[in-house]
Amino acid sequence: MKRQSTLSSTIVYTVLIAYSVVIALPLVWMVTSSLKTTRELFSSPFSPPVNPQWGNFIEAWNSGIARYLFNSLAITVISVVLIVIVSGMAAYALARMQFPGRIPLYLLLIAGFAIPVHTTLVPLYRLLNNTDLLNTYAGVIGPYVAFGIPFSVLLMFAFFVQFPSEIEDAARIDGCSTWQMIFRVVLPLSLPSMASVALFQTVLLWNEFSLAIIVLNDDALRTIPLGLSQFQGQWTTAWPLLLSALTLASVPMLIIFVLMQKQFINTLSGFSK
Amino acid sequence: MRPHEHIRERAGAWLCVFTIFSDTLQRVPAMRTETASRAAPGQKEGRFRIAGQRRWRTTIDAYILVAPALIVFSIFVVYPLINTVQLSFYQYGLTDPDVRFVNFDNYIRLFQDAIFWRALRNNGIILIFSVVIQVGIGVVLAAVLSRGIRWGKTFFRTLHFAPVVMSAVAVGVLWQLIYDPGIGIINFLLRTVGVRPPVQGWLGDPNIVMFSIIAAACWQYTGYVMTIVLAGMESVPAELYEASGLDGANEVQNFFYITLPMSRNVILAATLITMIGAVKVFDIVYVLTRGGPANASQVLGTYIYYNAFTINQAGYASAIAVVLLVIAVIFGVLQLRFTRQV
Repeated sequence: MKRQSTLSSTIVYTVLIAYSVVIALPLVWMVTSSLKTTRELFSSPFSPPVNPQWGNFIEAWNSGIARYLFNSLAITVISVVLIVIVSGMAAYALARMQFPGRIPLYLLLIAGFAIPVHTTLVPLYRLLNNTDLLNTYAGVIGPYVAFGIPFSVLLMFAFFVQFPSEIEDAARIDGCSTWQMIFRVVLPLSLPSMASVALFQTVLLWNEFSLAIIVLNDDALRTIPLGLSQFQGQWTTAWPLLLSALTLASVPMLIIFVLMQKQFINTLSGFSK
Repeated sequence: MRPHEHIRERAGAWLCVFTIFSDTLQRVPAMRTETASRAAPGQKEGRFRIAGQRRWRTTIDAYILVAPALIVFSIFVVYPLINTVQLSFYQYGLTDPDVRFVNFDNYIRLFQDAIFWRALRNNGIILIFSVVIQVGIGVVLAAVLSRGIRWGKTFFRTLHFAPVVMSAVAVGVLWQLIYDPGIGIINFLLRTVGVRPPVQGWLGDPNIVMFSIIAAACWQYTGYVMTIVLAGMESVPAELYEASGLDGANEVQNFFYITLPMSRNVILAATLITMIGAVKVFDIVYVLTRGGPANASQVLGTYIYYNAFTINQAGYASAIAVVLLVIAVIFGVLQLRFTRQV
């Protein structure tokens, strides 16, 4: 009996480790290859770099990665902050206040969550073109906020609905107006739920490509995914350089993920992507 | 009138599609009690003038709070959606001043367009294979991690989830290099064991290209499905396993008679999420193949993009977008209905 369980445990671990190698190998190859010469890529793809080519990273960094990272950071941060504020306000009113039109408004706002951005690309392009918002941060931030609203309202509505009304009642008895109550009582208590909405949207927007590709044509405004797509076309045979760019583009999020993995996994596996 | 009927009545007066959502809404138990406790005093208050004023105050405050979300959402989602449907009846290009109403011509053309059907079929292929591979492997992995191993759970979960936080563009570029005939590691491995790689390459052969794309997508997302399902399996009460242990059941029996039925809802949710991903797919296909070779890997997303922004047929692209919209909404409604129960 004991022997058998050791045997089955060995089999389970063997299969699990073999499968994990399939997942890990592309990532390990990406990082090690970015430090190699082209010749090494062909001759010995799996050995560690003989003479690490740190210059690859410097060249990729100077070819625009730095600027792309900055653009991604600015666009993601502004969008996420706006999503959290706008959705939090709406979700609070929809969950906690009685007013005519509450249910239809809630349904309207969350109905958008299933809509793929591709179904609106043509009108969005026209709209942004007519308002001179093509090739501006605002041109992506506006739609990002709008497409972030449904899911964020859904999550925060669920949070506010469970919010104990005794706390609000106590604040009212102490003479708080609606606004005082929101800023002094509700807001501090809902920070954890906002943080998880923010994390979710950060991962989504940091990686967004479909909309960015039609709005941001100017090289000075490109985000990381756009920059990578650009390098892919430019450096068709400069593989070590492309791999360095890929590593530089992916590693920040991977490091943040490893550091905050519990929050990531709880948030991202909570509902959908 | 029971409170949830009250909700249904008001929602029912709205658009019919929202009635479906309202069913979902009733599944949020807290909302029912909340409406129940507030609706009655609210009506009583209305008789007194001072209370009536307070209710007005609340309504105004509420609308101030909802307004920013509503405005942004209307400008960048609702208006473009209506516009998409309108444009699908026009012959129109983004850089073409000539706009002409063509009635249902774009839709008729759609039905006769072999590439459209190919794209639709490719979405279907991605959907089926993603569900089978990602959910299949994901469920088994989750079961192994939740009950089958003694150490390393966190390590394996972290590793398998890592590709999920990468952008689909980065994954696409990475896999394009992996499939590269020169430096790619797949061909290197095949050559090492003496197998001849496909002559036209993994992304150049129309018969293989879809599977190359699916492999890359599954590499990225299987860990995601595994994580969702694992979270569900961990909430299965431990007493069930203790009881089955007394009855002498082994782990395989536990999996089929306890773990699987108890995590049915979460597996269903993960399946729907995977399906929606397959309907929406764009980035990875665009980066790996742009829909090629010769449209062999075209999907709805890339075909919309190609028509609108490459060959300047935005009207026709809008008709394809309407088809995509209908499919996405159907899956979205299903997802909302099932996942709120989990």
